[in-house]
Amino acid sequence: MMRVPTSERVLAYVILIVMAILVIAPVLAGSITAFKPQIIWVSSPPTWIFEPTLENFEFVFFTRKGWVYLRNSLIISVGSVAIALLLGVPAAYAFARFRFRSSKALMQWLISLRMIPPIVVGLPFYAMFLYLERGLGIGLRDTFPGLIITYQTFLLPLVIWMMRGYFAELPAAMEESAMVEGYTRLGALWRVVLPVVWPGIVATAILNFIFAWNEFFLALILAGNRTSTLPMTAGTYIVRTRVEWGNLFAVNLIIMVPVILLTIALRRQLVKGLTFGILE
Amino acid sequence: MSKSYRSDNSNRSFSTRLYQLTQRQRHWFFIAPALIILLLVVIYPIIFSTGVSLFRVTFASQSRPFVGLQNFERMLGNDDFIQSALNTLYYVVFSVSGSFLLGFAVALLIRRVTAGKELLRLILIIPITMAPIVVGLMWNWMLDPLFGLVNWFLGLLGIPGQTMLAQASTARLTVVLVDIWQWYPLVFLIIEAGMATLPRAPFESARLEGVSSWMIFRRLTLPMLRPVILVALLLRTVDAFRTFDIVRVMTDGGPHLTTETLSLYLYRTAFTFSKLSRAAAGSILMLLFIGLISALMFRYLYRDVEVG
Repeated sequence: MMRVPTSERVLAYVILIVMAILVIAPVLAGSITAFKPQIIWVSSPPTWIFEPTLENFEFVFFTRKGWVYLRNSLIISVGSVAIALLLGVPAAYAFARFRFRSSKALMQWLISLRMIPPIVVGLPFYAMFLYLERGLGIGLRDTFPGLIITYQTFLLPLVIWMMRGYFAELPAAMEESAMVEGYTRLGALWRVVLPVVWPGIVATAILNFIFAWNEFFLALILAGNRTSTLPMTAGTYIVRTRVEWGNLFAVNLIIMVPVILLTIALRRQLVKGLTFGILE
Repeated sequence: MSKSYRSDNSNRSFSTRLYQLTQRQRHWFFIAPALIILLLVVIYPIIFSTGVSLFRVTFASQSRPFVGLQNFERMLGNDDFIQSALNTLYYVVFSVSGSFLLGFAVALLIRRVTAGKELLRLILIIPITMAPIVVGLMWNWMLDPLFGLVNWFLGLLGIPGQTMLAQASTARLTVVLVDIWQWYPLVFLIIEAGMATLPRAPFESARLEGVSSWMIFRRLTLPMLRPVILVALLLRTVDAFRTFDIVRVMTDGGPHLTTETLSLYLYRTAFTFSKLSRAAAGSILMLLFIGLISALMFRYLYRDVEVG
């Protein structure tokens, strides 16, 4: 532990507490609007004491079909993370365990995919889906499979990078001794390695879920009435003339709360995922 | 002995050789599915987009004449495209440097506290986990000229109400500040994680020799953190360059295009004005530009980081 003079420590506390207030105050102040009855949504000065109500949640959930968007968001996020894990975990295992010539170049190529702005793939995806529909009658626009495929552009590289890190932490002797005992490579991976690397898979799944859950841009281009996600509907509570603030913050809370809970569960693994495991 | 080995070798059956080949190339069985999907969802669309940019494709018309580099010329000669490119540059410079300095400062400060460290860290990282669109909408509410908390607070201090998002002179800076609010915790997390991995010994001996904290920071901490700093800058640059969600809900590029980013402009070109080919050309230019920037940063980064 660093030895720190008391005055320095007090100053650090003061600044950090101010920073924390600047973070938490807008989030809390906004969020309580979700529990305000409509007449005090826009009161000025703001009303702090009121009888909390759930009518805004009821309104966005049932009258505005919020449950449909919640379901869509869940299907797309869970589906795309499942596919990304299915494809990415074996690849990550190979990158961690086998020495081959192109491995380093391929890993660097995977990081470089992180640099591509979403518009660069979103635009051609829209056109490709349109041509597929007109030419071959395959409709992918505004469908769950279409969005799940598209989301692989940012999920799959991240899964491979994160999981490679987790596999690399395990000693290779683990599978080798299992293979001596008669397991095949795949058998050893399935029966011996996966049970041990399980927490890493969970962390990878959670972080990727958060990214898919918060995604807005690709959904805006490629989703439609049938597949609208929660972040997309948040914008619909702004009408030119007035904003339904209570309803809007109810939707915001529905988007935010699961992610904050997952983050608390994940906080130790967060950096690894957010930095693409470049720091190791 | 070597002779018998050789004859043994040449007598291997086809199936044995095939087996050995698959053993040597077994990594492809694991990697190929992921690789094929990535080629399909990233590389193919980029090639497709490059193709589209060389023709005149619109959603309305069936004919698609080849026009060469005309779309690129049109884009580069378009004032709005240049304006949004300059705005994007503004976002990159100020959002990256702002979030970097603030995040770095917080990382240094949090090392000096003991009790409540975990709670502070948890609160500080909340913004990263929020959807950017939620952040934008929340700050719209905070900044509302009539009932927003920011103006209410300024009013308590005797400062008259402001319409930050509606004025050309303040809108861009306001959006950048919101972006910094959301992303400085990312820099903080990265720098803090980097500092935790630094060896203790050089710092202790420097302190014993009476080197000032400022000199320790400049001569030891900063140089040793260089790869970590580069990662933070690289990630922030890439994200600031693609800014869309926050601007879309806060100002939608206005007033008078002062907050328009490249992503927003290209989105509008393609989907509001149906100029798909021109937007494709613009997006390829955007890709080349960010590719160049990150390649330079990567080269700098990999000079002293071992990856793979």
